[in-house]
Amino acid sequence: MGGFRDSLKQAVRQIAFRTDLNSLKKQGIEQVSVLGMDRIVGLIEEAVHRSLKSRLVGLEREAVADATKAEFLRLLRTNQDLQREKSEVERLKERAEEEVDQMRRQLGVEKQALEQRLQHDSLSSRARYEGEDARLVERIRELMVGSGAGPGEALQEGVLELVLQTVAKERRAAEEARGALRDREVDNLQRRIEKLTHSLETTEHRLRQVAAMKNIDDGISSIYREVQGLEDGSEQFGKKKELMSAIFAANLRLQKKTGSANGN
Amino acid sequence: MSDNDTQGTGSPGSKKKDHGVLYIGMDLGTSRTSVSASNGVRETVYSVVGYPKDVVSKKLLKKDVLFGKEAIERRLSLKVFKPLEKGVLKYGGDGGMSDDEKQNLKAAQDLIGEAIRLARPRKDELVYCVIGAPAEASMKNKEAIIEAARAHVDSVMLCSEPFSVAYGLDWLEDVLVIDIGAGTTDLCRMHGTMPEDADQVMYEIAGDSVDTELARLIRETCPGAQFSDVMVKDIKERHSFLGETGERVVVELPVNGKPTPFDLTDQIRKACSVLIDPIVEGISKLVATFDPEFQNRLKNRVLLAGGGSLIKGLDTAIEKAMRERLGGGKVLRIEEPIYGGSNGALKIAHDMPEEFWEKLK
Repeated sequence: MGGFRDSLKQAVRQIAFRTDLNSLKKQGIEQVSVLGMDRIVGLIEEAVHRSLKSRLVGLEREAVADATKAEFLRLLRTNQDLQREKSEVERLKERAEEEVDQMRRQLGVEKQALEQRLQHDSLSSRARYEGEDARLVERIRELMVGSGAGPGEALQEGVLELVLQTVAKERRAAEEARGALRDREVDNLQRRIEKLTHSLETTEHRLRQVAAMKNIDDGISSIYREVQGLEDGSEQFGKKKELMSAIFAANLRLQKKTGSANGN
Repeated sequence: MSDNDTQGTGSPGSKKKDHGVLYIGMDLGTSRTSVSASNGVRETVYSVVGYPKDVVSKKLLKKDVLFGKEAIERRLSLKVFKPLEKGVLKYGGDGGMSDDEKQNLKAAQDLIGEAIRLARPRKDELVYCVIGAPAEASMKNKEAIIEAARAHVDSVMLCSEPFSVAYGLDWLEDVLVIDIGAGTTDLCRMHGTMPEDADQVMYEIAGDSVDTELARLIRETCPGAQFSDVMVKDIKERHSFLGETGERVVVELPVNGKPTPFDLTDQIRKACSVLIDPIVEGISKLVATFDPEFQNRLKNRVLLAGGGSLIKGLDTAIEKAMRERLGGGKVLRIEEPIYGGSNGALKIAHDMPEEFWEKLK
């Protein structure tokens, strides 16, 4: 019985909402009556027992009371399961957010590396070739002067041109080979970036889904299982019935008009 | 439709609705929109809707649309709409709507959707809603409200706001309801049948008029004081009163960036008093045109509702003015002014027969 009372207390706490005095004041409430938790639980128990006592007898009452308790505990467990699921969804969301951040950072690093690589390659080969050409020209001139052959200016230039052409041809071949190698590296990097971008998109999509899931509210059940309507014995029944008919008639006119305007 | 709309009940009939019936009563007001529901939920939200100004603010706020207090607090990053003015939607409904009207209509629709979402309906329940609409709302206005609500509920009806207050309290005969909203003050005489045009009087002097007057008085009497509309509204909601007050109302307002105390007691009293004349004029008009045999009874059954009725001493001030102009009268403030309209609308929804709801689906 103690366990049941605790569960009842827990349930009352879960469905209660917190507010502060300022909010209440803003809503026009200046005084509140305070009712202790034990008293509330006691009242619920008392109400259930009295109700059962007045309508049922003996074993039947016991059976209904047991079934009610069992159903209450089942609902409480369901609620606890839902809370656990909610926490799990929140945990998933946090993990997905971390993943997205990590991927974004990695993607940035890869892109930067690729750009630096391409820029560096182009600059360094141009500088290297210019230096090599200058050194080669200097060396051939030294050799021709040192050989004492005394060749004319024109021959010297001709030899230089021939040598430089041959060297340029060899360089092109070497460059193509290096280029093919570099293209493979660039392709690899680009594929990695593409893959990372795709994963990032997928994770972000998942994250949006999880975020949307978090906002899904199962709602709170109404106290009514069926459509109600005025009770026969209710106060001012006749008058209220007339008023309901008048409200309905006005709305029917209005909504028929709206429906026809929309082509329904 | 905004993202938030998808969080509502969804399109009616999209899921088997065999769990139960949720009734919702809604009071769609210029300043606040309140809902009361048969699952015990009662919520109120300022009738303010904000949309992120640009991609940066959208990314920062992580939302497509914000409502109420949140929209007011984040207003610098938002395009803010107050879709109701003087108690009605800022929407003419005639052909060739301006961009502003279109945006206000969308804001109103989103606000109604949010109010229904606040009632936390289950997807597997039938949702029937009664909305207290301003008595003076145009046909196009009412159609727009119905259309907006239909996207979220299975069946919806409108009723006059002051009527729903009286119905909620079971005061159906010889009662005069004064509903003081932000945009309008509505007076409605009940005599056991649906109120007609002759039973209703509406004045555009209401809560917003008090704000305007208070702002004017502060500007006039507090040199250098800096304030915004939101600050004035806040001062009014915290300190408004009529008659005598035990202690002075001292409020800090910035002067050149420095918080400076100002005694606003007289200004607040004077600003609140702008409501008295139109209210007493309306009461006189409705009493004088009532069956003479029941005039005295009507005078003694005046109900004060709406956010404006939270002004301390307003009931006494009206009684005092009634003594002078009508030889007496009794004014009662309803227990929950903010939820009086929505509670009444909820009761109407509950009492409406099933076949009526079915026919309006």
